[in-house]
Amino acid sequence: MTTHELRSTLPPADAAPRRPRGEPIIRVQEVGKRYGNGTVALDRTSLDIWAGDFVTLIGPSGCGKSTLLRILAGLGGVTAGRVSWWGTPTPVLDRGDQKLAFVFQDATLMPWARVDENVALPLELKGQLGAAAIRDKVAQVLDLVGLGAFGRSYPRELSGGMQMRVSIARALVTEPDLMLMDEPFGALDEMTRNKLNDDLLRIQHERGLTVVFVTHSLHEAVYLSSRVVVMAARPGRVIDELAVDAGYPRGQAFRLSTGYLSHMTHLSNALDRASRSHGETRA
Amino acid sequence: MKTPDTPAEAAAATPAPIGSVPLKTPDLARGVARQVDWGRSRLPMLAFGAALLLGWQVLVWALSMPVYVLPGPLDVLRALHTDAGLLLTALLFTLKVTVLAFAVAVVVGVAISFLLTQNPILEQGVMPYMVILQVTPIVAIAPLIIIWVSNTFVALVLIASITALFPIVSNMTLGLRSVAPNLASLFRIYGASRWQTLQRLKLKAALPYFFAGARISSGLALIGAVVAEFVAGTGGTNSGLAYIILESGVQLKVPRMFASLFLISLAGVLLFATMVFISNRALGAWHESAVKTEH
Repeated sequence: MTTHELRSTLPPADAAPRRPRGEPIIRVQEVGKRYGNGTVALDRTSLDIWAGDFVTLIGPSGCGKSTLLRILAGLGGVTAGRVSWWGTPTPVLDRGDQKLAFVFQDATLMPWARVDENVALPLELKGQLGAAAIRDKVAQVLDLVGLGAFGRSYPRELSGGMQMRVSIARALVTEPDLMLMDEPFGALDEMTRNKLNDDLLRIQHERGLTVVFVTHSLHEAVYLSSRVVVMAARPGRVIDELAVDAGYPRGQAFRLSTGYLSHMTHLSNALDRASRSHGETRA
Repeated sequence: MKTPDTPAEAAAATPAPIGSVPLKTPDLARGVARQVDWGRSRLPMLAFGAALLLGWQVLVWALSMPVYVLPGPLDVLRALHTDAGLLLTALLFTLKVTVLAFAVAVVVGVAISFLLTQNPILEQGVMPYMVILQVTPIVAIAPLIIIWVSNTFVALVLIASITALFPIVSNMTLGLRSVAPNLASLFRIYGASRWQTLQRLKLKAALPYFFAGARISSGLALIGAVVAEFVAGTGGTNSGLAYIILESGVQLKVPRMFASLFLISLAGVLLFATMVFISNRALGAWHESAVKTEH
């Protein structure tokens, strides 16, 4: 069966995803990002993030998903359009409040600092809590990611998966509302990745987190997300959005369900279109 | 990302009851390994040295070498003993010049690096001249400095510091720039001040580079001090080991020349060992990730 036939059996791509209630916490409106050398990383891209969302950005490399994530973090300026955070146009990091945390593709730990010192960093930079309070919070998040016994270790003594847990603990220590994650599990083996996926969903549920997640993996996208945003390259833009309507918690049963398969098929087709459209642009 | 090792990987797969997982202690293990290495590497080193000295002495005896052409190790040892007072004073003087010059090079070098990393245009403007200063032989500059600076001791320190400056500047500049971009972004996200970023991130990241530079620089400071003494050629209270070599050469006191030479080498080895010790202490447990940059 060709992808074309498959697509015809599915609802049209623009079948309206179910929208959560209330105002979005982040609004990205018609945003463009052009670099000095003329490369258009993002073109008229819009995206709304609601509280409690688990939004995954997926697409071929060069489609601007990491750029978009950095814009959401307030790390990169835009050359067109508008972004607002909790109703204001000021990036969160300029306001100095810690509603936001970022998890990078690599664990991005300070090699000279012990695990607990790495996790304490955001609180220490902020300087609002005393040493005892910081210690408590650090111990709490380390327990949450299953590293309670490793506070005094150095990062290089830990495996890749454990280092990524430390990175997640550091992101959680400020009790953020929004966590931005740039392919955090991309370098890990599949077993570790699945385990971390389940842990992430559990923590998201416990903490009431909003997550925006970038990945290359269709499986990860469908398994984790409440919404999947498909992007295409050259210029980077949103071409499709899929609501994954299965409830949480999710487990192995979800991975084997027909709903999972149809979501996978939908995304696969959308990615197919994404790479073809980039081919057309180049031709 | 590093390859997961077995116990750690097992712990990652089952994160809940990991208190019992015996974490390897690489620091300890590495310390032991280093000692074992020393024990293994010292014996051949000592044996080779002894064989060399013995061969040298036998050669001197066999060829009945006059002492003013090639003294044997025993002659040198005798010179070390009889001239001990003179040599020790000279050694202390040379060491004083070297250590002071090294300290000046570190302070000035680090300061220059801070300035250069504040502004790329400044770096582009200044760095080429730092390189020119580095590649111009110090022997060629030294006579000028001797003329300009009336205090000989200050002149000696100045010459030696110029010799030792460049590795500090180049390594420290590289180090301050070597901060992982994502870590820098992280500090921005958490609203770190300029001072916090410098103190908690840039200085720490630069430390391995700094020590790599300092190790080279300490050796260069000694070379600079010796060269400076040769050029200055001062006697009296301002005489270091290099001057002793010059003087003894004219007086054909060749065993004393060898004794001075031996002490200069010894000083160099001691300096290097001290730097390695300090750097291992300062970089401590994470020095495995320390970067080696040499110039």
